[in-house]
Amino acid sequence: MILEIQNLHKVYNNGTHALKGVSFSVKEGEFLVVIGLSGSGKSTLLRSINRLIEPTSGTVRFLGKDITHIKGEELRKIKSQIGMVFQQFNLIKRRSVLSNVINGKLGSLGTFNSIIEKYSDEVYKEAYNCLDIVGIGDKAKVRSDSLSGGQQQRVAIARSLMQNPKLLLADEPVASLDPATSNSIMQYFERINKDFGTTVICNLHFLSLVRRYATRVIALKAGEIIYEGAPSDINEAWFKTIYGEEAEEVEIR
Amino acid sequence: MINNSEVDLFPQKIISDKKKKSDKLNLVKAVLLDIFFVFYSIVVVQRAIYLKYILEIRDLPFSWNQIFILFVASIFIGTAWALSRTSLSCKLFGIAKDNKTTKWTVEIFAWFLFDITFIAGWIVTKISIVSIFSGEGLAGAERLFGAMFRPEFGIFDDALFAMIETIYIALIATLISIPPTLILSFFTARNLMKDNKISFTIYYVLRIILNFIRSIEPLIWAIIFSVWVGIGPFAGMIALLVHTIASNAKLYSEAIEGIEEGPVEAISATGANKIQIVWHAVVPQIILPFLSFTIYRWDINVRMATIIGLVGGGGIGTMLMQYQGLARWHEVGLIILMIAFVVWIMDYISAKIREAIY
Repeated sequence: MILEIQNLHKVYNNGTHALKGVSFSVKEGEFLVVIGLSGSGKSTLLRSINRLIEPTSGTVRFLGKDITHIKGEELRKIKSQIGMVFQQFNLIKRRSVLSNVINGKLGSLGTFNSIIEKYSDEVYKEAYNCLDIVGIGDKAKVRSDSLSGGQQQRVAIARSLMQNPKLLLADEPVASLDPATSNSIMQYFERINKDFGTTVICNLHFLSLVRRYATRVIALKAGEIIYEGAPSDINEAWFKTIYGEEAEEVEIR
Repeated sequence: MINNSEVDLFPQKIISDKKKKSDKLNLVKAVLLDIFFVFYSIVVVQRAIYLKYILEIRDLPFSWNQIFILFVASIFIGTAWALSRTSLSCKLFGIAKDNKTTKWTVEIFAWFLFDITFIAGWIVTKISIVSIFSGEGLAGAERLFGAMFRPEFGIFDDALFAMIETIYIALIATLISIPPTLILSFFTARNLMKDNKISFTIYYVLRIILNFIRSIEPLIWAIIFSVWVGIGPFAGMIALLVHTIASNAKLYSEAIEGIEEGPVEAISATGANKIQIVWHAVVPQIILPFLSFTIYRWDINVRMATIIGLVGGGGIGTMLMQYQGLARWHEVGLIILMIAFVVWIMDYISAKIREAIY
């Protein structure tokens, strides 16, 4: 098991009870998709895994190690092994694509060298390699905010690949992209999952994408897991339970 | 392992505890604010409006005993009012009862506070239409303006040099302020410092010190430093420097607080340390606002440097002070003309530069 989560609770300072006792585990090499309405706790769940936020109670085990409340150097080490891709790409806008990708390596670079931006040839080679994997090696010198949304998300994926992640988290990676681009971005995740054996946990909204890419699905509703199983088993009835009676499935291809 | 029932209770308890705690705190705040409101109204109505205006007493009698009695009275009224949950403060802190009584008292009392404040302000300022249009006053103003509109160009060379001195004072103060301001701004940005107790204390203490320094006008700093290092441009420069650091550290740190959190989150997720996060995620987002604030500050400093000269900070202000003391209004006219011209030019240039870099 690469990841084991047990009875996880998160209460924010404003009193919002975002996760209410979530438990599940993830095997190495899985492509796990988390679905659920906005505000169901999907983002909180992902951020509890790589400890961008600290859970209120419960445990998160990563590679057998309890990381629920670790701090400092130890936490940074764990973070550097878990890649993350965001809905809003979160690139540094005024910087080049290349330096954005190298940012993914910060966890294992010296503080001083990373500030004067003196990197070894290997780091550059690795960065170009990561850019080639997502097919934008030719854009390395371009300012990152001059790229299209899909291209920016590919840079973000390349950045997370720089970490050689054992686990890749994706928080609604295609929610601000058009359908065609969404599919191509999802294909990069699929390739990373299959070629490198990287475990992927991804928040998604569109069921057609879920059925196509997920090996397993978890559905959250109001901070609790209400469905866990194969993507093909989500039928009309389950869909209505997850998204509410009013919902109707929208197809994207 | 915590057993199940405990875990289930745990978050609900936190939520309800938090709510109770914040309600209690708000009530305390409301009581204190209501006491202040009541005390303020009584004092203003009694002293400024009743004694000073209606009874026209010039030198108000002052006794601590009387103030104390008024204060004790306000404590009782204010507390009772806040506890009844119908007061203005209760409404402000969101713990008021939702009924007609509250609505009426709040509305009436708010208007009452505004009105007495305005009336008291009018009385204290001694506003008098008569003195603007008195014959004697008008004649004096006419003499002065007449002289100023025929400026004396004989002192043009001296004034020019003094003006250049002023611009340099402002420039050097602005330039030297940059490095300390940069460093301070990171330590006074809430979003960077809130994470642990030690850094939050540093943040808090620095904020208080900077607020204190900023609340003292450059003019006062110039007086202090002209005693400290002697009258002249150096005193003026240090005065501007001190105030620039304190004000710009606030502006810079607000820029840091307003950055997009996303990139910070993303860099933090790669396992980068604090310094790397600041350098790679925060700094790229704030360089332009920093540059813009600094240029604008140079423009402000030129204006302030002219004023600071009045108390011995060197430059054109000192010169203005000398000629004004001698009542040589033609020369004063020239100096004011030059100041206005330079300020206008600086304003224009700094606006253009700021436009260009965005």
